[in-house]
Amino acid sequence: MSVAKPLPHDAAALHVTGAARYVDDIPTPKGTLHIAFALSDVAHGRLNGLDLTAARAAQGVHGVWSGDDISPMPDCSPSVHDEPLLCTGEVQFLGMPLCMIVADSHLNARRAAALVRADITPAQAILSIEDAMAAKSWFDGGPRVYARGDPDPALKAAPHRLTGAIEMGAQEHFYLEGQAALALPQEGGDMVVHSSTQHPTEVQHKVAHALGVPMHAVRVEVRRMGGGFGGKESQANALAIACAIAAARTGRPCKMRYDRDDDFMVTGKRHDARVAYEVGFDDDGRLLGVRFTHFVRCGWAQDLSLPVADRAMLHADNAYFLPAVEITSYRLRTHTQSATAFRGFGGPQGMLGIERVIEHVAHHLARDPLAVRRVNFYDEAGGASPPGPPRDISEPKRNTTHYGQEVSDFCLGGLVADLEDRAGYGARREAVDAWNAREPILKRGLGLTPVKFGISFTLTHLNQAGALVHVYQDGSVHLNHGGTEMGQGLFQKVAQVAAHRFGVGLEAIKITATDTGKVPNTSATAASSGSDLNGMAVQVACDKIKAAIVDWLGDPQARFVDGMVIAKGEARPFAEVVNAAYQARVPLSATGFYKTPDIAWDRDKGQGRPFYYFAYGAALTEVVVDTLTGENRILRTDIVHDVGASLNPALDVGQIEGGFVQGAGWLTMEELVWDDAGRLRTHAPSTYKIPAASDRPAEFNVHLWDGANREDTVYRSKAVGEPPFMLGMSALMALSDAVAACGDRFPALDAPATPERLLAAIEAVRA
Amino acid sequence: MYNFDVVTPNTIAEAAAAMAGDEAQALGGGQTLIPTLKQRLASPNTLVSLSGVSEMQGITKSGDTLRIGGATTHHAVASDGSYPGLSGLAGQIGDPAVRNRGTIGGSLANNDPAACYPAAALASGATIITNTREIAADDYFQGMFETALEEGEIITAVSFPIPQAANYQKFVQPASRFALVGVFVAKYASGVRVAVTGASNDGVFRWTEAEEALSRDFSAAALEGLSVSEDDMISDLHGTARYRAHLIKVVTARAVTAAS
Repeated sequence: MSVAKPLPHDAAALHVTGAARYVDDIPTPKGTLHIAFALSDVAHGRLNGLDLTAARAAQGVHGVWSGDDISPMPDCSPSVHDEPLLCTGEVQFLGMPLCMIVADSHLNARRAAALVRADITPAQAILSIEDAMAAKSWFDGGPRVYARGDPDPALKAAPHRLTGAIEMGAQEHFYLEGQAALALPQEGGDMVVHSSTQHPTEVQHKVAHALGVPMHAVRVEVRRMGGGFGGKESQANALAIACAIAAARTGRPCKMRYDRDDDFMVTGKRHDARVAYEVGFDDDGRLLGVRFTHFVRCGWAQDLSLPVADRAMLHADNAYFLPAVEITSYRLRTHTQSATAFRGFGGPQGMLGIERVIEHVAHHLARDPLAVRRVNFYDEAGGASPPGPPRDISEPKRNTTHYGQEVSDFCLGGLVADLEDRAGYGARREAVDAWNAREPILKRGLGLTPVKFGISFTLTHLNQAGALVHVYQDGSVHLNHGGTEMGQGLFQKVAQVAAHRFGVGLEAIKITATDTGKVPNTSATAASSGSDLNGMAVQVACDKIKAAIVDWLGDPQARFVDGMVIAKGEARPFAEVVNAAYQARVPLSATGFYKTPDIAWDRDKGQGRPFYYFAYGAALTEVVVDTLTGENRILRTDIVHDVGASLNPALDVGQIEGGFVQGAGWLTMEELVWDDAGRLRTHAPSTYKIPAASDRPAEFNVHLWDGANREDTVYRSKAVGEPPFMLGMSALMALSDAVAACGDRFPALDAPATPERLLAAIEAVRA
Repeated sequence: MYNFDVVTPNTIAEAAAAMAGDEAQALGGGQTLIPTLKQRLASPNTLVSLSGVSEMQGITKSGDTLRIGGATTHHAVASDGSYPGLSGLAGQIGDPAVRNRGTIGGSLANNDPAACYPAAALASGATIITNTREIAADDYFQGMFETALEEGEIITAVSFPIPQAANYQKFVQPASRFALVGVFVAKYASGVRVAVTGASNDGVFRWTEAEEALSRDFSAAALEGLSVSEDDMISDLHGTARYRAHLIKVVTARAVTAAS
């Protein structure tokens, strides 16, 4: 039994001893060249020319290539071919690569890059939401609208009505390992690329396109990344392409890694956004009509912004039934870094909108926000009755989302009740209120927020995966699949599945690097789908090999357990049976393929069943705020989170803890600041603060909700990568609650809620 | 890095002679200067390392005066304890690596607007002792990165009158942990002095209204009703002028409470 065991990460010992090998650690062949980009110092303008004289003459430089030297210019975009590797005329953001330096060392390449002089005629830059709206600068041909019914009559008829808006900042991924690639030219024009990417197939595709060769001529390998968080889904393309074309031109291995400052200046971040709302509700806080407008700042290129903004719209309900709702989403094109995938992929922005609405409604009615949340929850799924008085069965069901998907697995009624019980919500609410009545300076706050997150890529065809499993004649197993490891523990979970299928120990399973030559046409390790998709594909491959062995054994009842194969009443070691099967010429290698069933999505209509299932969770966070300065601390966080039947509780708890901390960081301390010229002023750890170990809650309790997935996922588990990120909303709501204790007005707190912003909110509620 | 010469004098006289050379620059612990050179924000031909000058090392107490050699590290001051408020400040500078290399002379000569030591020197009414003269702290600090030091002049020691009570409170910018606002409060028989670092466009300054109020009544309550103008405060990505002005009063109150 290796599934469901709380085993440590397979590479934990390698990580802590420094032996784990990342792209930058791979020993490079003699003669390897190194690449650096020279970046634009202007946000928008016309590139008239580059003075490359000094750079070309600099020590160790083998070549300097600009848009004039590379034709056709390779494209780095994952979507609409709007991202030239190097500027070809129009400078589109401050930090845009203008030319590439190829030198004998990383430092020489960077030094030469600093010598490049660009002649740019500046033009008016579109930076803010206001700039972009005024210029109608947007993607997707204009706003996208999804709706259920018409909210206008509901808003007009509602006993209460409020309007408001919340701003939420961008977020830097801050993967500890920066972007990196190493290209090794092969015979006959073939190319091998080591890339720090979540999407090896896309790197293969883009490199092949750049080199003008078929995909079969490019092999991409990824052993592991030092964190990804979505930041290596499309952003790895540029480095891999630059290395590949330089390697093809020079015939020498080429390597590139961004310095941290360059990584900040060049790569995309989480989309910052504004969500404006108009809500009508009854005396109990039941939402009757809601109108949302999403303003999403996408940066200069389309990248993944459309599906990100779509997902924000699909999570505009979070856990709540919205009887009449209209969501209008503007995907704004600005002269800044191209915003990209980041854990949650738009879901957090959409959810924060409705959570703000709930808080606003509760404040208006002077009710506990948790009570307002409860009256708006979707119907609890069958088999469990929600707490509270039974509802009149003649009432219409409240279990269909605004995009027409039935919510058939809703468990937040019970899950939140469990959280309340475990964390002592009622007593602590009273204690916090009493504290706030007594203490003039330090105010406490509680925030309890739920998460309902849809699992599947909304682009339906991406929901597929492949695996390749070999059993060697000594009984050891070589495991490969399309998912990538970025510290999340995917490889260990999938290895547990393989070990479980064969009934052998983990030591019999060899985890191997993701390789486009072994498993083709993979999707990015993204959308929390890694274990769901690849675990299933591996299961299929293992079962094919088992079936061949069972067939040869001639006992359909044969079982594989505890390192033994039990057939025809006889138990023999797995290795012995495998060796005999080999000698009997039984095939011991198989591919596996899996596609998620039962999903369908019409993006234009905004209707369908885009998600195979939902993952749920809830967090209760308590904070204390110094009302003289806005300084604050998270005192305690309690989480109950639904991972179905966990494949590995230790790894799942780790993802939940990390997700919460990263989510709370987004909303409380991580602040990206661009100046009026479009220059990102926060581009290093000295100016951009991410949560450290000491910023986690002083008391931090994570409990896994006890329940199997209703859908037939791998061992009935649920995806865990993204959903816990949004539990961080509880920290923002707790801060808002503490601010609300200072006065009568609604805090209307924007994010990130930095100390200065908190102090301003405190002054505002007192005004 | 680029090519430059390093000279390692053993005496103040040798150091002063070396400083007379073409484009010479004194090197303390190098915690600011070396990164500056790496960025080519400065490129002197000669670095005169002061760390081997034994006359500039060490801490001596005589009566109510503490004399600290200009080449003494923050760690040494933090460990000394003769002037607890000052040792407390030194222990909050940077990180252990900075504290083990950085020196009091280097910090005061650089006069970074977010540095900690200028607040202590100004609030204590310290005397800056150089190879040629003695300069009162009130005359020494002349704006952001500006001091009364002449070309080639070396801080050999700093002399602090030890107060009856003192405390330094630092409100840090969370990413860099530099002072967004730092306030040093020192209470002497002659009155209270309050110096503020991190906040002003003019570098470290004395908050005289608070000094008067605290000289009458050394308690946080004495600050009620006072306010700091935001006019000359720094406004940057880490905080507005208004926020910094607000923080000065709060942080001063904390320092007074901690010193009481």
